[in-house]
Amino acid sequence: MADERSKVADRPDILEKPDILRPPKPAPLVTFPIDVIVPEGRQQTPAVGQRASRADGRLHGLGQTKYIDDMYLPNMLFAKIKRAGTGSARIKSIDTKEAEAMPGVVAIITARDIPCNSFGPSLQDQPVLADTRVFHAGDGVAAVAAETEQIATEALEKIKVEYEVLSPVLDPLESLKLETPGVHAPSANVYGHKIIKKGDVQKAFAESDRIFEGTFRTQMVEHVPLEPYACIAQWDANGRLTIYSTLGRITLGRADVARTLGIPMSRIRIVATVVGGNFGGKNEIRAEPIVGLLSKKTGRPVKCTYTRPEEFYASTTRHPLIMDYKTGVTNKGKILGRKIRLVLDGGAYCSWSETTLGKACILSAGPYNIDNVEAEAFVVYTNKTMTGAMRGFGAPQVCFAYESHMDDMAHALGIDPIDIRLMNAFEEGSISPTGQKLHSVVAKESILRAAKRFGWNGLGNGNGSDNGHGNGNGTGVKA
Amino acid sequence: MKRRGRGMATMWYPIGFTVAANPSAAVVKVNEDGTATLLTGTVETGQGSLTILAQIVAQELGIATDDVHVVSADTDATPMDTGAIASRTTYVTGNAARMAAEKAKLTLFEIAAPLLGVKPSQLEAKDHKLMVKNFPQRNMHIGDAANHARMVSGQPPIGAASFNPETVALDPETGQGKPFGTYVYATQIAEVEVDDETGETEVLRIVASHDCGTPINPMLVEGQVEGGVSMGVGFALEEEILFDANGKQINPNLTNYIMPTSLDMPEVEVDIVDNYDPTGPFGAKGVGEPTLVPTAAAICNAIYDAVGVRVTTLPATAERIFKLLQAKREQQPKQLGTAPPALPGGPSDGAPAH
Repeated sequence: MADERSKVADRPDILEKPDILRPPKPAPLVTFPIDVIVPEGRQQTPAVGQRASRADGRLHGLGQTKYIDDMYLPNMLFAKIKRAGTGSARIKSIDTKEAEAMPGVVAIITARDIPCNSFGPSLQDQPVLADTRVFHAGDGVAAVAAETEQIATEALEKIKVEYEVLSPVLDPLESLKLETPGVHAPSANVYGHKIIKKGDVQKAFAESDRIFEGTFRTQMVEHVPLEPYACIAQWDANGRLTIYSTLGRITLGRADVARTLGIPMSRIRIVATVVGGNFGGKNEIRAEPIVGLLSKKTGRPVKCTYTRPEEFYASTTRHPLIMDYKTGVTNKGKILGRKIRLVLDGGAYCSWSETTLGKACILSAGPYNIDNVEAEAFVVYTNKTMTGAMRGFGAPQVCFAYESHMDDMAHALGIDPIDIRLMNAFEEGSISPTGQKLHSVVAKESILRAAKRFGWNGLGNGNGSDNGHGNGNGTGVKA
Repeated sequence: MKRRGRGMATMWYPIGFTVAANPSAAVVKVNEDGTATLLTGTVETGQGSLTILAQIVAQELGIATDDVHVVSADTDATPMDTGAIASRTTYVTGNAARMAAEKAKLTLFEIAAPLLGVKPSQLEAKDHKLMVKNFPQRNMHIGDAANHARMVSGQPPIGAASFNPETVALDPETGQGKPFGTYVYATQIAEVEVDDETGETEVLRIVASHDCGTPINPMLVEGQVEGGVSMGVGFALEEEILFDANGKQINPNLTNYIMPTSLDMPEVEVDIVDNYDPTGPFGAKGVGEPTLVPTAAAICNAIYDAVGVRVTTLPATAERIFKLLQAKREQQPKQLGTAPPALPGGPSDGAPAH
């Protein structure tokens, strides 16, 4: 900079044109292009089939979309939730005195403040805040409302919780055993069971040329939306509660808020804002009752935004599955019977496990005509992060199993993976494992189209080379 | 050495809830200039569903997507909706929106029919006009009809409707029944490159052929598939929440929970399979969730094709594949000076039943 200044003194041109030294012009009042150019796709009729751009796309592109973290209501407070940090424990005491005395801390609530401390879409087994027991490490034990997010975070450190740490149940197969202590004793660890029976599997196995078996396992994953869970609550002088939330299901959310807070639905308004990704992770309430109560206690709007770690351990995740497959086939590759056992790690609370259990079980035999199917699925409690709705509800897990299994059979029988699928795939009018007659079925078409596009075995003009593919050898392409 | 392989996976996936009622309701109001407003209780979660709903309403009224404004996601103002879940918005909310738009349209037909000298059943809505079928020159602008409806007839064109997929409960002992209204089908084929020394896998290309019934908006279908594939790649190769002995997560952050970035994304070729479902709005079903269902299976089958090891536990990390390769090498008899023998079928190579 010093060099630049000395240069200015040497340059008479700058002195002759003093405008150069004036401060820059203020930014224009309107910082975005005010004239809207409507893309052609949005203007054409008929509307169906058009590549119409999204109405919200322009706002996203110009940075004008308001997510919850962009919203501020006058006099608003910020809430933070103290997490247990251990999988299974008995809460002996919670001391909030020191935190309450901190300047900037306005209110603290624990389980005792919650009128009805349970919710859930099918089983009401989730507490809003843990009462006497901790069932997974992400359980909240207390919530603070403070003038700033930082003060609220610091106050969490001053809340003293005494635990009697218990030994957690972490393995779903362990949880399945009768002798394993119940995570939610006296309730059993198996909290969901589904069975599908079609035909006679034992007879089909006896008639099969070959029997194949395989066990497959999948892991727990997070939705990782760009926008973490967030909500703002405002309790007004009419006793009406307005909640702005990232919820994907406001009708269910309103019912859960009414239940937990014990107020009529007519006094609750839930507005879902533009959500920065859901993928199933925002399908039930999280902090809504907490910010609602904190707002009631303080008379001020309260916001709670999950941190990224909270998004991992205090929201739902994908069910890990352990999947046993047994399939009987003819030497030509026709599937005669399939037996499946699924064990779903259901985490600490039911959440959307019932749906995941059902879909996984119904879909587990794959999109194939199999006359004899027996599928049985269990979901068990563990002291891990709750598993719930996530894009696919068990289907990506069972597809990984039935399609890996399918290729194992194809390789062993010396059949091309395409041919074994085409031989068995559903077609119009096929009967599903639950006995449903299927319509608008294009399973075979999707196989053939994908193969053509890819260029599999000379199908189509794709660039996927066939050289050296198959037989587990692959092709060496570079050192 | 890096080895290439290819693998495929086919799937089926249902639209809507398993048996349980999952209705959607919708309200459509036609404005005096022929534009319209849709009220829906569903939530835009980034997938573009409000644009799809606008297109469905526009199609029914014969107007353009941009003519329909969508008001959504407010329990005070919008009708009941089961929400953005179970790949149900296009099919269930879409059916409700189409039926609501149809009711508003029928009111307009009643107004326009005497003005055009025909019966309401002889009219169709197309190109911003209400026109006599087979006589397109006999028409009136939808805005003129809507304005007439309000100013002269006193019958504002508003339609409300709801839809719930038809299901039959499953028998508790045999699981027999009709759990879903409809299903979609898809196949994905992956091409991968696996380093047989480190076990590291790179997904080079994914061809994704997806059925969604009628694609209401092909561009948004492509967006869903590309997003689903990225989630599928993470599920297949990288992502995993880990716990310590107390049940506390070890890696709850984006430093240690590894997920694919744009640099890890394969080339995705989206192919939409022609289909029409008579139970969906204009033949549409849905596409949201199915997009990631076959990805991990296709990638693992491609890994097998490349290096001959079967991944039975996800994710297929480099470490896991390295161990499988190591175990495979130990099993192989050493032959000096000659080419390695052809490999057996695979670890799950079945034994004859009898």
